[in-house]
Amino acid sequence: MRAFRGEPSIYGNSDPERMRAELKVEGLSLAFGGLMALNNVSLEVKTGELLSIIGPNGAGKTSLLNSITGFYHPQRGRIIFNGEDITGLPPHEVTKRGIGRTFQNIELFPGMSVLANVFLGRHLYCRYGFFPASLFLPSIKREEVRHRRVVEEIIDFLEMQPIRKKLVGSLPYGLRKRVELARALALEPKLLILDEPFAGMTLEEKEDMVRFLKEINGRWNQTIILVEHDMAVVMSISERVIVLNFGEKIAEGPPDYVKNHPEVIKAYLGEEG
Amino acid sequence: MSRLMKLDRAYLDKLKEHTIPQILAKQAEVLKDRVAIRKKSLGIWETVTWQEYLSFVRNVSLGLLSLGVERGEHVAIIMDNQPEWLFAELGTQAIGGITINLFTSSIPKELSVHINRFGSTIVFAQDQEQVDKLIEVRDELGDVRKVIYVDPTGMAFYKDPWLLSFRELLEKGKELDRKNPKLFEEELWKGKKDDVNLMIMTSGTTGIPKLAMLTHACFIDMAFKWIDSAPIEVGDNWISITPPAWIVDQMWGIGVSILSGMVMNFVETQETLSEDYREIGPAITITSSRFWEDLASKIRVKMEDSGWLKRKLYDIGLKKGVEVVEMESKGIPVPIHKRFMRTAFQHMVYRPLLDRVGCLQIKQAVTGGHPISPDVIKFFRAIGLNLKHGYGLTEGGGVFQVQPDGEVRPETVGKPLPTTEVRIGEDNEVLVRSPSLFIGYYKDEEATRKALRDGWLHTGDAGHIDEEGHLIIIGRKEEIMRLKGGDAFSPDFIETRLKFSPYIKEAVVFGEGREWVAGLICIDFGNVGSWAEARMIPYTTYTDLSQDPAVEELILSEVRRINNELPKPMRLRKITLLYKMLDADDEELTRTGKVRRKFVQEKYIDIIEAMYGEKKEIQVTGKVQYRDGHVGTITTNVRILDVE
Repeated sequence: MRAFRGEPSIYGNSDPERMRAELKVEGLSLAFGGLMALNNVSLEVKTGELLSIIGPNGAGKTSLLNSITGFYHPQRGRIIFNGEDITGLPPHEVTKRGIGRTFQNIELFPGMSVLANVFLGRHLYCRYGFFPASLFLPSIKREEVRHRRVVEEIIDFLEMQPIRKKLVGSLPYGLRKRVELARALALEPKLLILDEPFAGMTLEEKEDMVRFLKEINGRWNQTIILVEHDMAVVMSISERVIVLNFGEKIAEGPPDYVKNHPEVIKAYLGEEG
Repeated sequence: MSRLMKLDRAYLDKLKEHTIPQILAKQAEVLKDRVAIRKKSLGIWETVTWQEYLSFVRNVSLGLLSLGVERGEHVAIIMDNQPEWLFAELGTQAIGGITINLFTSSIPKELSVHINRFGSTIVFAQDQEQVDKLIEVRDELGDVRKVIYVDPTGMAFYKDPWLLSFRELLEKGKELDRKNPKLFEEELWKGKKDDVNLMIMTSGTTGIPKLAMLTHACFIDMAFKWIDSAPIEVGDNWISITPPAWIVDQMWGIGVSILSGMVMNFVETQETLSEDYREIGPAITITSSRFWEDLASKIRVKMEDSGWLKRKLYDIGLKKGVEVVEMESKGIPVPIHKRFMRTAFQHMVYRPLLDRVGCLQIKQAVTGGHPISPDVIKFFRAIGLNLKHGYGLTEGGGVFQVQPDGEVRPETVGKPLPTTEVRIGEDNEVLVRSPSLFIGYYKDEEATRKALRDGWLHTGDAGHIDEEGHLIIIGRKEEIMRLKGGDAFSPDFIETRLKFSPYIKEAVVFGEGREWVAGLICIDFGNVGSWAEARMIPYTTYTDLSQDPAVEELILSEVRRINNELPKPMRLRKITLLYKMLDADDEELTRTGKVRRKFVQEKYIDIIEAMYGEKKEIQVTGKVQYRDGHVGTITTNVRILDVE
């Protein structure tokens, strides 16, 4: 019997290269026709950081994430990840370089089990081809077992054992968000991008999520970019906050600084702050 | 190697002279790499062999020694059911320590009170949640030297030297073992079988819980009661689901399983219990009556949702099954065509159904803790589960009274197990004598003198013994109520019948010195909720649902049906549907789930008075205590319902 709880093997590797996530976004601009979604946005993320991006509806938060992960192709600017220019790469290429994400509107397969959905995150690491797999050779069995273990450790860490075999479509919203996080973690990302992981959750679900994020960021040094609406959550877990408004960065700094920034108060938090 | 085997009797008899950890050491030599413990983790059943079991216990013992724990020191354990619980407990006892288990659901204040009363110097805690609670009341825990936590999740941010992880404890143990390889055996064999090894909190339906002191010899005797009377073999499965703070899993975990070589199985999480239960398929199980009541009502509700053919087969099968069970319990020979029908239904209905709920492998299932509705027993026996009544007490060392096979009758709790004597004392009080009896309450000589007189345990239960030697329990002696007209009744008797309705979760009846019986009823939120959904009745919270007129009608019809089965004076005239569930956090239930009648009566006195008055509706304000300790209030109207 192994005492493994709380120590997923995806973080067991002490190689610093595995966790290195240096992201640089320089002068990013994105327009949909005449609408400027992003205007000359620059930001930087260092390894082990938890950076939050906030801003009112339509501020360009999701557009920024989609540009980084290759879903949108910005007209101007560069995105450099670990020294490599990834601007304009398609999403699967971005993923291969170690950027994993979750989606605001939950992009899971509702007709598949939780286990199968999380397994999809391992797709990147499956080295076998179609024919050996159809024969289910011993080497493939071994590889599957290895992947299953990684997936099970994540399920255990996120406390999803009771829903392991349930269909995603039958789960409540808060749990689906957790499945998304699990799938993103199964990718073993260097940089984890979370698009509103707290939206629509009950207080208890939020507390759980905060616990998970604190643990993976604080203990396992996972670099995270978090886009979020819930100010209380953002202020309690971020080291640095960036505020966007109408596609432009209007403030950047530690939570306390941002909270009191006059521009931010005007744009986002209301007159009283 | 064959899967099952019986241990040699002469060898077993020799074990009687040792302590429990000493017996574990002997068993590890005999049973070697057979499975001792299974725990589901990462979706797979992981195993611990008997030798590994001993080596874990050894490392815990030595780890504790390196923390300076001495013989006779008290160690508190706040853990869920899991292998580490057994390692911690036996590891402590192997070096002469005494353990007590607290409920993981306790609030911080409760923990500090119990830890201090017990005088613990070391505390084993499950996880971050328990550690946080202890840190909250740390100022009051001056005697606690170390808190050892099992689950490291979230613990990396705690840099407090007060805390130590279970893994570090094992490491410390291994280190000491390298330095002094003989130390463990020396300490282990200093133990005497009459030493106190464990204290258990009694449920405390009245006043604060008392601490019952049990010795190694109690557990050994209890183990032999079961080995000698039940069909137990090495490798048989036990599934550990009742909280370790309760006597049942203690008598099994450190008693029966160690002596008989049964496998202790631990589920993955509380939420995966029914799935894991099915995968293991235990051979013997002892659970509270609530477990069987819940299971029965779950089966019934599920069957109502199933297709026409299945439902018909189930209905007929159940009817035929109950007929046979009733004939058997009266001793009437069952005619051949009925026996044939039963065999047919066994294949069509009973066995598939039992398989679904994980009970197909059960040789013997015992219900205890609280009287159970005879209908529930009849129900399970009808579908072929060997469910019987048992009777036991923490002070008795566990369950010492079970119905023998072939003599199962719904009203009784059976005959004494080997080495147990039961007789009826004054006021119909049930008295027990057995080597498994506790030796006294911790620091409470007066209570000890009251409970133990001339070697007989005064149980406080009223009962009588029928012509065939079966014990029948009427109820708690102090709880027997008398109506104004002089009719005596046991509230338990009525309440258990009410609770067999799938829609009633909890019921408390009153009537002492009154003209008639009245009751507070808590609806079953799950079942009533699905009932309401199926009828398009909208609701928001428990409070809302409980005061819905349609729900009131539903419960009234249930009460009327049950009233018909009760003797006239015991019938309920008025009921009120309570706006909240009774809860242990609000002190309305004990942590084992028993109603604290006096407390409930005082708390809801307004409602009770209203039931005996003329009012039809009453406004109430109730306090609700949340897990984190803060208190909220509910203000709502409740209606008084006329049953007639």
